[in-house]
Amino acid sequence: MIEEPEDLRRWRLPRGRHGLPREIVERSQRERLLAAVVRVAVSKGYDATTVADILGEAGVGRESFYELFDDKLDCALAAHQVLVDDLETRVRTVYTVPGPWPARMREALAVTLQWFAADPEAARFTFVELSTVGPAFRSLFQADYARFTRLIDEGLSEEGPSPALTQATQLAVSAILARIYEEVVLERVDELPRLLPDLTYNLLIPFVGEEMARAEREAALESASE
Amino acid sequence: MLRPTTPPDISSQTQRQRIIDAIVESCAEKTYAATTISDIVGGARISRTTFYKHFPDKRACFDAAVDHCVTELQEAAGAAHSPGDRPADATRKAATAVLEALAERPGLAQLLSGDAIAVDPAAVEHYRRATIPALEALWSGEEDGAAPHLDPRLAFGQAQVLLLNQIATGKSDRLPELLPELVYLAVSPFGGHEEALAQSRLAAADATSGTAKR
Repeated sequence: MIEEPEDLRRWRLPRGRHGLPREIVERSQRERLLAAVVRVAVSKGYDATTVADILGEAGVGRESFYELFDDKLDCALAAHQVLVDDLETRVRTVYTVPGPWPARMREALAVTLQWFAADPEAARFTFVELSTVGPAFRSLFQADYARFTRLIDEGLSEEGPSPALTQATQLAVSAILARIYEEVVLERVDELPRLLPDLTYNLLIPFVGEEMARAEREAALESASE
Repeated sequence: MLRPTTPPDISSQTQRQRIIDAIVESCAEKTYAATTISDIVGGARISRTTFYKHFPDKRACFDAAVDHCVTELQEAAGAAHSPGDRPADATRKAATAVLEALAERPGLAQLLSGDAIAVDPAAVEHYRRATIPALEALWSGEEDGAAPHLDPRLAFGQAQVLLLNQIATGKSDRLPELLPELVYLAVSPFGGHEEALAQSRLAAADATSGTAKR
């Protein structure tokens, strides 16, 4: 198991006078607001969430909020950014290392599934709540999608197999998104790691064919039973 | 002079269709979340009262639009192949026809791939149920016996995400670029990887030589 995703909820400061330097207070306020927007949006829906709800949840004043963010959307997008940055960093750690490509791809997928399983709120926020923000969702989606296809391609170009389909990387990212989305909707995010063997198989086939994909599926099953 | 009389049911049908076209257009332009009843009413050139005669609210109108889109795509898919086709060929032709229909009206693609997700996952389930059994039916006569292939639900989701990305990237006018991948996704759950690759290449070749309906 990987450790918990960088947990925005860990940031707490004592209320009242504490004599801490200003930038530390601000950093703490920002992180508390980011954690709060995720929690509130997941519990009552992004649409119904108000800035007042976020303030109440974070224990931060209105003035401080508007020093840090333009509005609710700005705050939600910033929270999303922190979450996706963290996920990418963790995936990068296991993916952009020496070693056979199919195995690195399997590891990257394992980390991704564990990351979402460890934080169902983050999963629901990214996959369901953010899709209701209106036009901003499209650029958000496009940016995330491009980010992870680029990451996969980076690892591929070094020594990876040449995909039989020109957009095999897009197929892979689409499979991951579609599967996680489905589990989020069914509220089974904590079970995501169990999907690793089948999803590995699915992802790898367009790149390396059925036989090698089956071998990685076996490897995923073995690592699960260890 | 007497005004020409239109039977009320026909004019009502036209109104309903105009409302559906308007919500599809507005969702494509600014997403479902940002679409208002005023946008729909303005686009359809009808009164607010007329809107509420047909639909209780925006959501009901959206659901009707999804139903309408699904029916249109089903018809396009059904008309694209003939009973004599091998399942793999029929699937390729159906997938090609669906993509062509979406390319003609990118608003439909936006509605089904992006907005349906944002509005309600149940809406997605609804048209997934209209798609997967139809594909399964094409393959029902096959004595395949091979190991189960890829998961059709996942393939469906993948197709949806591919379309959504193409639209989000502002390339809704270039949906046909996705043809090889979509054909691959449609065939692979039932025919396996090799067959799906073969069909994908066929579809790409047909598209470049302009004989998609061969």
